[in-house]
Parts: sequence; C-alpha cells; structure tokens
Amino acid sequence: MDARLRRVNKEIADCKNDKTSNIRIDLIDSSPFHLKGSFPGPKDTPYDGGVFEVDIVIPESYPFQPVKMKFITKVYHPNISSASGAICLDILKDAWSPVLTLKSTLISLQSLLCSPEPNDPQDAEVAKHYMTSKNSFEETARYWTQTYAKGQESKGKVDIKEPGRDEVAIAGLEKTHVAQFEGLGFERSKVIDVLRRLNYRGSNVANIPDERIIDELLK
Amino acid sequence: MSSDNDYDYSDDDGEYYYDDDEDMMSTQEDEDSASSDDGMDMDEFGDDFKVPQRSARKTYEIEYDSLPQSAVEKLMSNDIEHISGIFGVEASLASLLLRYMRWNKERLIEKYMDNASAVTVAAGISPPSRASPSALGPDRSQGSSSSARTSGLRRTARQTSAPLKAKPQPSICPICFDDTQALFSALACDHTFCSGCWTAYITSKIREEGEHAIRCMAEGCALVAPDPFVRSALADDPETWERFNELLVRHFVASNPNLKYCPYPSCTYTVSCPTAASKSALTTVVPIVTCGADANPPHRFCFGCPIESDHRPVICPVARMWLRKCRDDSETANWIKSNTKECSRCQSTIEKNGGCNHMTCKKCKHEFCWVCMGPWSEHGTAWYSCNRYDEKAGVDARDAQSKSRASLERYLHYYNRWANHEQSAKLSVELYAKTEKKMEEMQVTSNLTWIEVQFMKKAVDEVFKCRMTLKWTYAMAYYLEKGNQKELFEDNQRDLERAVEDLSELLESQIEPEIIPTLRQKVTDKTQVYVSKRNEIMLEDTAKGFLEGRWRWNVPVEGFD
Repeated sequence: MDARLRRVNKEIADCKNDKTSNIRIDLIDSSPFHLKGSFPGPKDTPYDGGVFEVDIVIPESYPFQPVKMKFITKVYHPNISSASGAICLDILKDAWSPVLTLKSTLISLQSLLCSPEPNDPQDAEVAKHYMTSKNSFEETARYWTQTYAKGQESKGKVDIKEPGRDEVAIAGLEKTHVAQFEGLGFERSKVIDVLRRLNYRGSNVANIPDERIIDELLK
Repeated sequence: MSSDNDYDYSDDDGEYYYDDDEDMMSTQEDEDSASSDDGMDMDEFGDDFKVPQRSARKTYEIEYDSLPQSAVEKLMSNDIEHISGIFGVEASLASLLLRYMRWNKERLIEKYMDNASAVTVAAGISPPSRASPSALGPDRSQGSSSSARTSGLRRTARQTSAPLKAKPQPSICPICFDDTQALFSALACDHTFCSGCWTAYITSKIREEGEHAIRCMAEGCALVAPDPFVRSALADDPETWERFNELLVRHFVASNPNLKYCPYPSCTYTVSCPTAASKSALTTVVPIVTCGADANPPHRFCFGCPIESDHRPVICPVARMWLRKCRDDSETANWIKSNTKECSRCQSTIEKNGGCNHMTCKKCKHEFCWVCMGPWSEHGTAWYSCNRYDEKAGVDARDAQSKSRASLERYLHYYNRWANHEQSAKLSVELYAKTEKKMEEMQVTSNLTWIEVQFMKKAVDEVFKCRMTLKWTYAMAYYLEKGNQKELFEDNQRDLERAVEDLSELLESQIEPEIIPTLRQKVTDKTQVYVSKRNEIMLEDTAKGFLEGRWRWNVPVEGFD
C-alpha cells in the first residue's frame, strides 16, 4: 500500500479514537488527501466558544514535505490572514518534521491562537491593531469569533450577511469614530476602510490628525 | 533595459550561429584549412577568428581560470583533507564542519580550537546533551581529539553500514507506521526511523528543496546527515546522489568569493577570478569572463555582478545603477516624452489626446503648433502640414522648454542612444542572417569560394561587439562628471560610433556577385583597420582610466569616496 495513504488513514483513525483532544479530522470528499480539521478555540482567549475549521491539503511527498493548512473560518489574529485564512507558522514551513502529524499540527494551530506572534505577522493590519491596543484587539477578535466561529448553528453560513452583523465592530473600530467622519458626508464603507488602514485605534487616535484622515478619504 | 534583454542577445547570437551554418564544426575546419594554405589576407582572417590569447592580456581583460566541476570537487576535497588531518576527524565530519562554517577554514580552525564541542553541536554533528565531557573545555589536547575521532568512527561505522542493515526494533517506524519494515537506522542522536522513510525524506529534501544540509527527521533535532549516510540511503538512486554532490559544489562555490558558478542554464563550470573577488576591486576592473564550457556562443558573463552580459567598459556599480534607473524611469519617461509637451510660453505640461496640431494652451491661451512648437500665427496657410521645424521661432520656443524637463531630456538622450545600439545590434544580426543565405546561394551559382563569401560574418560580429561597447558607454557618460576627461571619453565614443555606423551602412549594401570583391575589400578594411581598432581604444582607455582613478562621477557611486 502507498505509504502516504497508509499514514494518512492511520492518522485519521487515531484522531477519531482520541476523544480527549476535541480535535476532529473529516473527509471533504472521497479523497483522503483533502481534509477538513476543526478544533475549539482555547479557553481564556478571545477565541473561546468558537469552533475553527481548517482546510488541509496533503502534498504528494507527505510526510516528508509539510502539510498545507489554512483557516476556513475567518479569524482575527496577527499570524492568520483575515482575508484568506493563510497561516504563518514555522512548523508549516522550515521547521516541519515528518514526525509531526495532522493532529499535532492542529494542536499547534490551537496554541497559536493562545499566543500570537505580532512581530512575525501574516496580517500586518491586525498585528498593528494588536500592538496598539490589546484590549480593543481582543474585543474585535471576540466579535469575529461570535460572528464567524459559532460552531454548528452558523456552519456554512459565514458568507451570508446576517442582519446583526456590524461592519464597524468587524473592522475593530469605534462606532463614534466612524460616525464622526460619516457625519462629514463620506460613505460608511470608505470611512471604515481608511480608519482601518490607518489603524485608528486606542492611543493611535491621538497621533492621527483629522486632516490626515480627510486627505485619505478624498483620495 | 533589464538583463532579460541582454539575455535575449545571447539567444539571438545562438540562432545566428546555429541556423545559418549547417554545422559549426565544419565551418571551423574549413577556415583553418583555408587560412593555412591561402595567402596573407587569409592568415589575418584566420587569426581574427581566434580568441585573443591570455598571455597578451589587455588592460580591459581580466585574469581568470575556468574550472570544470571535477576541479572544484578536488578543491573541496583538499580542504576536507586538510581539516580532517588537523582535527583528526573523519572526512565526512570535516566536510560537515566546513559546510557549517561556509568553507572558511581559518575561522573554523579558530572556533574549533576554542570550543570543539560547541562547534560540533552547532554543525549538527553531535547532539547537545551527548557532547562527550572530554571534548569540553578550551584546552584541546591529543586526548580529546582522539575521542572525537573514535566517536566519529563509531558513528560513521554505524551510519555507513547501518542504514540498510537489518536492525530489529521493538516498535514500528513512527513515520510510515508500516509494520513490515525491517530495516532501521538513525543518526548519532538515535532517533530511529525505517530506511524507506529515510530514503524518501532525503530524496525529497534534495529533489524538491535543493537542500544539502539534511537534518534528522525528528522534530526539533538539529543533527545533519553526513555524506556516507546520505549515500547509503540513495544507494539505488545515483541521480539524486549526483544532484546532492552538485548542491555541495554549488554551496562551496557560493561560499568562496574567488569563485562564481557559470549562470548559464545547466552549465556546470566554475570561474575562479581572485582579482575581482573584493567589492573595492570592482571600482577599477570590469571582470568579464567566459566559462570553459564548449558552447556556441560561449558562456560569457560578469564575475562581479548579476548582469549576464558583457557590460564593458562600464564598471559593475555604475552599470547596475544605470539598469536600475532605466527600470524605474523609462516607462514613465517614455510616456511623458511621447504624449506631452510643454507650452512654449507658460511651460504647463500638455497632453495631446487627439485633434489637430493647432494647440491653444488652456492656461495662457498661447496658440502654437504641436509639431514645431512655434507660434501658430506664423503658420500661414500650411496649417495642417507643419514644415517649419527649423524656423527660428520654433527653435526659440523649444529652447525655452522648462528646465524641469532638462534632466529628463538628458536622461532620455543617453537612454535613447543606449536602447538604439541595442536595437541596431539585434537588427544587424537579423540582417546578416538574410544576407548570409543569399551569399551561400551565390556560392553555388557563381564561382566564388566559400571563404570569399564569409567576410560579412566577421564584420557583423564586430559590429555587434562594438554596439555593445557603445551601448554601455552611454550609461557611463550619463554618470560622468562634466570636464576634460568626459570630453575625451566622448571623443573616443564619437569616433567609435562613426566607424561603426559606416561599417553598418556597408553591411546593408545590396549584394551582387559582381560587386563582391570590392565590397569585401572595403568591409575587411573597415572592420579590421578601423572599427576593431576604435573599439580597442575605447575599451583600453576606459579601463586604464579606472585603474588610474581618472573618472569622476556626477552622483555618488558605490565604492568611491
């Protein structure tokens, strides 16, 4: 039997038998080389209460080359792209070892959620937010968890615009700030875009003069 | 212009050699025999086809050596033997130590003498916890070095034989979970995996990642597999083993500033050029080298920078600066140049996006002709066909063009000439391809001999070469500070340019059998007596100028104070 197939089958079976770790690996279609992993957000983090799904692609030369993983669930985290779900983690690149498994890699992702590395960011805007104001960052991350990672009931519905979804909170901004510039006659989406880009949060608010923002808005 | 275009050249060159001669080898033979039994004229011909001898080195040529892969491997093994002898360790371990220190023997010896165990751990030879106590401590006596030797031998003995030797293990391989596997092996760290997995892992590292430092498969283990281990894992795959050795050679070459790998695809030659190894040397020489591969056209490249073509007479830092400028500016500049002009009265930039040539400036209401830039009132009835280009008013108006455009104009002056020579060189080669066919036909239909219709080839080669020189002289002139030196430089440039243009013109003459003897005489005279001489002077004088520190720049140049 193909060594890669044997190993993947065993990994999937091992994961099914292990009831303690709460980590699941499911088939997406009939191929055992394209899988979906999921794990609960770690306790005492803004990700608590969410279930995070990960797209897993097993390359031809697995396990000698690292597995390819990216988040399906949208996550607000410095090392995870808020747009594509791409992950910045050493074991998915140079630090990969053939001894690592799908389960151990998913556990590493789980612990990445506990300990962000803002100095080596995947998403620079999120990392800036994290560095400027951790409280505000956590609030946004929690909001994203509530919106996108609520587990069973919201599964597969992430793209549907829910009525309660708040663009301002998703961008990690203050309602009053957005309202202030919206009041000047600028479009809401544009205001959100500019404020997010300029990282108009926490102590940074005092550093960015209104003119600067208006300049950007007029561009 | 990017190096891509330079690269195109060599391609064109290749076509021109391969497509037009049915066989290059026979060409060479014919020439040789012809030059030996023919008169004086032919002798000169034959000589000029030969590469200049290195003994008569010109100022603009650099001393270098070309090494085949085997010669580089020999250099590597000399270093390895040397270190292995001094430290009393196995050759494979000495090799790992050298690779870790990027083949810097002096630093390796210093560090090893200072703290051998730290170096062996860092090089991935022994695991940190297992460093033998006797190897610790700064005082490396005979005792500790012999302990290194024994441990090395012990390891290698196991590594060389163990990977494929049955070594029953109580557990199954943690990677493939295949319980039918019976062969296990491990590096000095004792992380044991089955041989099948080792082979697959090593193959994947070499083939997919081009990695020569192959670490143990265990997570976080920094041990590196020594060559005998890799070799036994690849016992059934000589191709990958070959590739592994090539990677080692490349690493060695990359680590040594005196060496450079030939950049041509799949060429395995290395050039050694110690004269150009330091950054400061690159301010005085242009190290254009040709590797020893028997290729046509020869693999010529610059030892000092990544420009894969002959950029003489310009030194690397200036050539690079120029290419960067062209990449940044040329697109925008070209657009501005071709789509806008400035109002000759108020200097506002105007984009003409359609309509006739009668322009009225939006700002100052000045009416002028788009073609000659002269006032419209003087155009009389010939409104729609401007023929007044040299009228004084127009000249004045153009002279008055804003100063802000002056620097752009200056750049474009040089850039256009630079690009033009490149283009012309390409065209002359294309033209020659056509001409040659015609001449070969003539050889069949008339009583001309093969050698008599070959004179064009040499002339085109010369034109191509000189245009490349000219091209780069414009990059150089752009950065040269105004003054006598620059004027002398431009005099040489002008003389060469004139000679080349004259010869180019001759090359474009209609080829008829009757005129061939006279044409041949003219072309040969021009090529040998005039053009190649001019090129020589240009290159020689510029190279001397660098050695004498004669050139002054109008911008700061890397390496100059």
